[in-house]
Amino acid sequence: MSILEVKNLTHTYDGNTPFMHDAVKNVNFSIEKGEIVGIIGHTGSGKSTLVQHLNGLLKPTSGEILLDGKNIWDDPKKIRSIRSRVGLVFQYPEYQLFEDTVYKDIAFGPKNMGLSENEIAKRISEISELVGIKPEYLDKSPFDLSGGEKRRVAIAGVMAMQPEIIVFDEPVAGLDPRGRADVVQMISDYRNKYNATVLIISHNMEDMALIADRLIVMNKGEMVLFDTTENVFKQYELLKSIGLNVPMVTQVMLSLKEKGLNIPDDIFTVDRAVDYLLTLIKGGNYNA
Amino acid sequence: MLKDITFGQYFESNSFIHKLDPRTKMLLLIAVIVFIFVSQNAVALSLVALLIFVSMILSKVPLKMYLKNLKAILPIIIFTMIINLFYNASGDVILSFWKLTITTGSIYRALYMAARILLLIIASAELTYTTTPNDLTDAIEKLLSPLKFIGLKNAVHTLAMMMTIALRFIPTLIEETQKIMNAQKARGADLENGKLIERIKALIPILIPLLISSVRRAYELAEAMECRCYNGGEGRQRMKQLKYKSNDFTAFATVTIVCSAVVAINIIL
Amino acid sequence: MDNIIEVKNVTFEYEDGEQKETVLNDFSLDIKRGSFTVVLGHNGSGKSTLAKLLNGLYKPTSGDISVDGISTADEKNEIEIKRRVGLVFQNPDNQLVASIVEEDVAFGPENLGHSPEAIRTEVDEALKAVDMYEFRKSTPHRLSGGQKQRVAIAGIIAMKPDCIVLDEPTAMLDPKGRAEIISTIKKLNRENGITVVLITHFMEEAVDADRVIVMDSGKIVADSTPKDIFSNIKLLKDVGLDVPQTTELLYRLKLGGMNISTDVISIEESAQKIYDAIHLEEI
Repeated sequence: MSILEVKNLTHTYDGNTPFMHDAVKNVNFSIEKGEIVGIIGHTGSGKSTLVQHLNGLLKPTSGEILLDGKNIWDDPKKIRSIRSRVGLVFQYPEYQLFEDTVYKDIAFGPKNMGLSENEIAKRISEISELVGIKPEYLDKSPFDLSGGEKRRVAIAGVMAMQPEIIVFDEPVAGLDPRGRADVVQMISDYRNKYNATVLIISHNMEDMALIADRLIVMNKGEMVLFDTTENVFKQYELLKSIGLNVPMVTQVMLSLKEKGLNIPDDIFTVDRAVDYLLTLIKGGNYNA
Repeated sequence: MLKDITFGQYFESNSFIHKLDPRTKMLLLIAVIVFIFVSQNAVALSLVALLIFVSMILSKVPLKMYLKNLKAILPIIIFTMIINLFYNASGDVILSFWKLTITTGSIYRALYMAARILLLIIASAELTYTTTPNDLTDAIEKLLSPLKFIGLKNAVHTLAMMMTIALRFIPTLIEETQKIMNAQKARGADLENGKLIERIKALIPILIPLLISSVRRAYELAEAMECRCYNGGEGRQRMKQLKYKSNDFTAFATVTIVCSAVVAINIIL
Repeated sequence: MDNIIEVKNVTFEYEDGEQKETVLNDFSLDIKRGSFTVVLGHNGSGKSTLAKLLNGLYKPTSGDISVDGISTADEKNEIEIKRRVGLVFQNPDNQLVASIVEEDVAFGPENLGHSPEAIRTEVDEALKAVDMYEFRKSTPHRLSGGQKQRVAIAGIIAMKPDCIVLDEPTAMLDPKGRAEIISTIKKLNRENGITVVLITHFMEEAVDADRVIVMDSGKIVADSTPKDIFSNIKLLKDVGLDVPQTTELLYRLKLGGMNISTDVISIEESAQKIYDAIHLEEI
């Protein structure tokens, strides 16, 4: 059984709200335990609306969300307990920090779950170690940290709830290369330790090629593709038609292929491209 | 759920009332409100009502919108009527029980008071339906500008600037509040249930990030304004100039005549 | 070409509690009139401080900065310097003052005390220059990030500056917004002759610059043409900059023994370089 199943999900906003919201139309997919799934599509394609349904922040206009086979809205009173099972890390999560110490801020989620002080302390030391927050940082004010450190603390705050599924909305936006690498590492460490399922919204196809097993492609509220990362990136023309791109390195490879070189269509990372091109030279059979 | 403050209740149209200078509309509204209370009898009040009714038709704002507004204040009108029904009785007794009596005089009074509130609400609503908050801000700034002669020059400018910035940032902050609420809810925060004290406590994780972000925004905005040569209103000019046109004079004249008539009726009857 | 901005031996310190932080130390830089300069550096390299020094928002602790020969330390020319050197910030939301686009753009010229008719023309021209004229009656919170940032740029352009300094204007935008802003900036430089100083940590935004300056810990570590700077990928990576995948690929191929230079960024040029290099091996 899939851990998460989205069935005929539709969400419409009534026209009177002043803010731009994106509708979602009849979306269906299911995700297996331990997978990393990327969600791509441009601003306004319905990605954010989609993920806010997964932990019950938004209620479907029609359709359902099944977690371990059970509709999360079966008992609307228990919707809060869903939020500790499906963690959601919003864009720029550092803006939600509010406590006077890092420890207390990370403890906010576990506390809301009603865990004992001992259990909370245990979880915080476990998660801090996992994501590389030094023990002496726990007593500091989160507002004295650098931007990248704040981001890690905010993410740790969701991870401390130990959700089975964790969803990230643009987790590396605004970070420098170093900060980005740290966050990507955190995500994969968390998944490996807890065998968690991960969903990531991102504009960055290069990052997606590195970490995602499968990709969901959204356009104007509809899911246009849901397949392995490899198969999605092979659909270069389709992606282009909805204003998305394949990783830059793939674009270079496509261009080389057009020039008549013998290039396969499944090169999505720099590592793979370098290996391939260097062996190509050694082998000497360049042309297709 | 949330009203769009930028346009407030503004109803887009090109009517006679819409085209009036916002200062005209504001001053005339004040005059009309004063004369709703100056009117001492039904005839005088009917005259003011007629004026308001004609302007409603001229505004081309659908009647539906006015009714929607009235629905919200219906309880207040009913409450006022009930109070007046048992108060200051005069005329023939119609009904009497316990210590309360209803008389023809009190019925008349209840209806009269209800009519006053009704007219007051309709007239004020008309201003917001036909004028954007931005235009209202400009009108307030201009109308208060004589205060600068009594040494309150900066006060007027500062007030206007504050209103402009508030109009600009309220939607941004509402959106931000929503985002922070969602983020804390995603961490299991319970904002809907619990006793009053618990609910107030539950607001802390929302208010603190909101406050921090507002301070940051304020600081950045101040720097940006400085970079755009803002110097506290010294020598500042405005692109949009308010100018009274012939329509404004027509409106002023009409209201003046009606108000004089009200005074005359008050004296005669 | 003469210099529009001259930075001479500037040191900038600020007090953080009891500690004194030195952000820039004995820093010198000239910006040529009409040029397009990109300053690359990661967070904390001092590039934002530099931006705020250039229009006199911050004053140097020692040394001197002059705009058209006028020192920014000169209090009585404060407004004139800010008019000549406009500054655009990272977060478009926090730069817009009014809730109607055209009224926001008018804010600068209004402060300068121009006549209502002149302001009207300046506002219309500025909105057209950033391609936002059709949104003049709209309200900022209904616009996309890229559109808001273009309105912010129009607000500066309306003051008819000689130079605009942009401090990471694309950092908070999606790829579409980023592309809009970069093409707007290039257009302003080429067609309107405005001197541009673009501060960023995205290396690909420097491709079409006349000159690229790389900053690290308050110092200039490289200052040359894009081609020259991009051929030194190791330096860019060492100072923690974002290197686009194309450049990364060329760099790794070079490390792997291919005879190839890393001075291009675009997909087409990179592919051509690789193609040529492979065929060179053949011969």
